[in-house]
Amino acid sequence: MDILYQVFIDPFVQMVELPDFFLQVLWEGFVSGVLYALIALGFVLIFKASGVFNFAQGIMVVFAALSLVGLYALGLPAYVALIATVGIMGILAYTVERTIFHHLVNQPDIILLMATIGLTYFLVGFGEFVFGGDPKVMITEELGLPTGSTAFDVLGGLVILQHIDIAAAVIAIIMVACLAVFFNKTRIGRALRAVADDHQAALSVGISLDQIWMIVWFAAGIVALATGIMWGARSDVSFALEIIAFKALPVLILGGFTSIPGAIVGGLIIGIGEKLGEIYWGPLVGGGIESWLAYVIALVFLLFRPQGLFGEKIIERV
Amino acid sequence: MSVMEAGTPAAGIRGAAATSAETAARETLLSVENITLSFGGVHAIRNVSFEIAKGEIRAIIGPNGAGKTSMLNVINGFYHPQEGLISFRGQERRRMKPYEAANQGIARTFQNVALFRGMTTLDNIMAGRTLKMHRGFFWQCLHWGPALKEEVEHRHKVEEIIDFLEIQAIRKTPVGRLPYGLQKRVELARALAMEPDLLLLDEPMAGMNLEEKEDMSRFILDVNQQLGTTIALIEHDIGVVMDLSDRVVVLDHGEKIADGMPADVQANKAVIEAYLGVEH
Repeated sequence: MDILYQVFIDPFVQMVELPDFFLQVLWEGFVSGVLYALIALGFVLIFKASGVFNFAQGIMVVFAALSLVGLYALGLPAYVALIATVGIMGILAYTVERTIFHHLVNQPDIILLMATIGLTYFLVGFGEFVFGGDPKVMITEELGLPTGSTAFDVLGGLVILQHIDIAAAVIAIIMVACLAVFFNKTRIGRALRAVADDHQAALSVGISLDQIWMIVWFAAGIVALATGIMWGARSDVSFALEIIAFKALPVLILGGFTSIPGAIVGGLIIGIGEKLGEIYWGPLVGGGIESWLAYVIALVFLLFRPQGLFGEKIIERV
Repeated sequence: MSVMEAGTPAAGIRGAAATSAETAARETLLSVENITLSFGGVHAIRNVSFEIAKGEIRAIIGPNGAGKTSMLNVINGFYHPQEGLISFRGQERRRMKPYEAANQGIARTFQNVALFRGMTTLDNIMAGRTLKMHRGFFWQCLHWGPALKEEVEHRHKVEEIIDFLEIQAIRKTPVGRLPYGLQKRVELARALAMEPDLLLLDEPMAGMNLEEKEDMSRFILDVNQQLGTTIALIEHDIGVVMDLSDRVVVLDHGEKIADGMPADVQANKAVIEAYLGVEH
């Protein structure tokens, strides 16, 4: 009975007894959720327009962040470096489209997936060759992002909010709103979904695959840059960041691979769930559950709703 | 030709675009000359030439593997022939590009139904209007002002097509959920949304029951007569071909073996041999 008490009652008692601490945990969870959502967003963009899980999204985050830091180190002012990095992501999108995807029209999805894996390895090697392998520091202050923190008196205690986290949340929300409108309301958005469904049919109505793919890879590059800045500000900028891409996987399973709001809600559920789990239930098994809890949540979800919370309904006529 | 004659009361609606088969024969909309297409050592099409006159329904028939679909793919630019010329509206080219073909007024449907399965009927048909919508990116993102007006205008046009093909009831249904016959009809609707001059139909009646075939035949005739659209049609049902088409070209093993009026083709010895096999 003791174990049941510890699992089902004790954590909630703790939450009620120390509400300020609970709020702090929620906030931390919210912030990491937003950041997961940002990564997931990059995946969703490319998945929507080509039906492919873009393995290279993680390395694109690293690549964008390293370019930014590298250009700044060359002596460019921070904002110029930022704009130049946007340009680099544009060039990357163009090159990827011209050299890889242009030649893979009408190929099965698995071929495209393999191509993105290849691209990942190329970018890792190329990135190390250009920027070197040592970790670098993100130019947070130079970009005008707020630092420091504010403490709020609530519920008889202190809740501390890092300014950079607030900025991350605001930027993520703006980005998501823009992308959601873009995808759901515009002709180009409709064309993107059309391309993901059927290459041949899209071509036959005059949709240019080259143009569409360039647009999504560029958009994914911009999202990667934003993600790189935000994550880079919290840790440092190194190739280890690539791994966070896999954190996006449970988020995508939860939210649905094709849904922008899904990426957000999925990100928040995973982020908050992870933190709450770690703090309140983690001690029962000696802690450290944060790293795998997300995957368990995703797995349970797969059993009941394989298309995710907001994914397109899986339609199969047999 | 009985069906064509039965359709003549519609001639008034066809207006200036309407032409009888004889006058149509003079103005060529599309011609392919000496097209040769091969994949490695396999010759899909060998030295085939024919032309499609403005306003006619031109059938392309032949046994399986004769190169009919390859021919359509050459016409709308999915395949690039090794030899030959394609001229559309008098403009000659070595090869067509899909975008170019769509932009110049060639629309098509596919043998195995290529729809955007996750999207609704309405969105599928709206996708057919892609090339007709011009408002800039900025306005579109705002979804307001000129872009909204444009969207509404196109929506009207799409509603006309929906009425025309009698698919009002499935407007908001994701097409993946529709029965096959209706999917074929949505595909036709999407092609019509492009307001094409030339419509390529790849086995529009394959897998349909008699009633569905009759409906589809009626739609094809209506498109031809009321909208004045020229149609190239691949079809296996010889009865349908004889009823609908003005002229027929017959392919076998990638070569053209006959070309002419339906009745003449039907009586042609080479055609009978290709379909039934030769007596040895």
